Amino acid sequence: MVNDRGQLYTMEGVAAGIIMLLTAYIVISTTSIYTPGDTHIPDMQLEQLGSDVLAMMDTPNSKEDDESQESDLVTYILATDKTSFRAMFRDYCNMRAGSGDDLKMNAYVYFHDRDTGTVRSYVLDEEDHATGRENAVRVTRWVQLPERPDNLPMAVTDIDNRPQAVLLEVLLWRT
Amino acid sequence: MAYMNEDGQWIVLMGLLVAVGLFFLALIINQSALVGQTTAEGVLEFPKNDIQDLRTAVFDYVDQFPYPGDPRVQEDIIAISLERKNSLVDFSVGPKVQVSGRDLYPITIHYYNGVTKYDETVYY
Amino acid sequence: MMSLDFLVGFTIFMLALIMVVSMVPGLLAGLESSEIDYDAVAYRTGVILVEDPGWPVYPPWEMKTEAYKDEIERMGLAVSKETPNILLSTKVDKFFNDSFFTEDDYRDRAIFGDIPYSYSFLFRSGSEVKQVGDAPPSGHGYIRRVVKIKEPGAAVIDTSFVPQYKATSAPSADQEFIVRLNFSQLLDPSVDPAYRIDPRTEPVNVTITDFDAFLNMTEPSTTNATLKNVTFWKMDPTRPSPRFTRIPFTYNTMDPGLYTLSLDGNLKSLAPPGGVEVFDNISLVLKPAATSLFTLDQNSILDIRFNFDDDPVRTHITGIHHYDYNPTNVTRPDLKPGVLEVAIW
Repeated sequence: MVNDRGQLYTMEGVAAGIIMLLTAYIVISTTSIYTPGDTHIPDMQLEQLGSDVLAMMDTPNSKEDDESQESDLVTYILATDKTSFRAMFRDYCNMRAGSGDDLKMNAYVYFHDRDTGTVRSYVLDEEDHATGRENAVRVTRWVQLPERPDNLPMAVTDIDNRPQAVLLEVLLWRT
Repeated sequence: MAYMNEDGQWIVLMGLLVAVGLFFLALIINQSALVGQTTAEGVLEFPKNDIQDLRTAVFDYVDQFPYPGDPRVQEDIIAISLERKNSLVDFSVGPKVQVSGRDLYPITIHYYNGVTKYDETVYY
Repeated sequence: MMSLDFLVGFTIFMLALIMVVSMVPGLLAGLESSEIDYDAVAYRTGVILVEDPGWPVYPPWEMKTEAYKDEIERMGLAVSKETPNILLSTKVDKFFNDSFFTEDDYRDRAIFGDIPYSYSFLFRSGSEVKQVGDAPPSGHGYIRRVVKIKEPGAAVIDTSFVPQYKATSAPSADQEFIVRLNFSQLLDPSVDPAYRIDPRTEPVNVTITDFDAFLNMTEPSTTNATLKNVTFWKMDPTRPSPRFTRIPFTYNTMDPGLYTLSLDGNLKSLAPPGGVEVFDNISLVLKPAATSLFTLDQNSILDIRFNFDDDPVRTHITGIHHYDYNPTNVTRPDLKPGVLEVAIW
């Protein structure tokens, strides 16, 4: 009783199976392409954390009557105190439940050179070596300095000695 | 294959049905992935922290250099903003005016980074 | 008659279907919903808590008692909307009081979602940890905000104030020591809200340590003085012919929600019957809930008057202590760094 009619069921079963498997394969491969959206969220969280840390470092802990007290951040930049800056930044970043957070950071200060009309920079802290492949976020903070910072790197000792606004940029990434 | 009939076609049809269902599922999943992406991007793109930071910088500036201010510091902020943050920033401080019984400086702040524009007049 | 062929075809179809169905959960696995919505909700909740003082602002939401809990629209912890990331300790304490707030309160007044999200809030400052909610499972939305916390100041009157407040000769039989709060000075808008003394939102602490140093030493046997009562007086300088009037208040009922008065470590009411003999120290905490009952405005002057009544006079404490921004009069603690973590799932 085996005839050609029977083979059609088999073929159609195979056809249906191929259609479904192919669709599932396409669906899986397309959705996994769209998931890079996820990587934006850790960026957003890291950026928020970095901004908060810089803002809090730039908030004086107390303010007496008329005296305008300098924040820790201003103090560190004025003294180009890399060690204390890094220690405090990491300390604020790592205040959390559970284990610490392995954050890497580099910090640069951008200042405005009025003689040449350009914006120049120097390194405040470049202890963590960036390979350039990291997915780093950049957080910034305006800092008002009353005078030229001390202990500057050789190349930028010609910063004007005047009250000025500089921009502190911190690159943050996780390994 | 002398006498082909279409009795078996419903199996292919069912396969097709499952395939269509999977496509819709994929569509929904893609949409939801986009939701996460757009919220994160929305937060990243809207320069909330930049604007807050600029405002505090301007208020600090007014604290330290009351009207008429120090044009050099103002130029620092404008020049560095343009260079490092790709944003057009301008602000001006006027002489004190009386607002509800207090003498305050009127400050206008303008911020534009190509996507987000922010203008504010605040009495400080 | 075609059962075998049908069976083969249908089996192949079913096998393929089973394979596809088993692939679908794997398809969803990479897209756990935390990356979709939870992170955004956590971010939003973090912003509400850290950058907003909540609503209503005055009287502040954290002063609402159980009966008026419905009036709380939004719970924010910031000192003011001008000072993001600076949190007020009284707001933080209230927020983490999970015997006062129910799970629905947190959902409706801090998280604001259509879905009943699960949550975990954690605040850490130094060794102090506050938490509400359950431990988050894996795949939760998360945000961490670095903040600073503002704590109330305190006027501590110790031996260093003896030359200032100890009268050289015995005052009249009715001795009085005044702590004066000038609201127009305290609430001066030029003071940054992050460093302001605001009795409307923060408790007022007055502590007299070393009370024995103020005693009348011409009578060598004196070891204590009798505190008759503590009263509140107010003056509104903007009114014509301003003068101090005694504020009607439930002076003889103890209410830890309004104030605590501790005499040598024992809690007493503000007008203890017959007075209480004080040997060593007096500590008064006036809660913002009480200050709000006094109907004060930004020009008022509030007096806290400690009345001593002995005959012959047993204490020489007298004068007016100004509760103001002078650091010798009121010690204001430094802002303390902390972290607020929000987890949503």
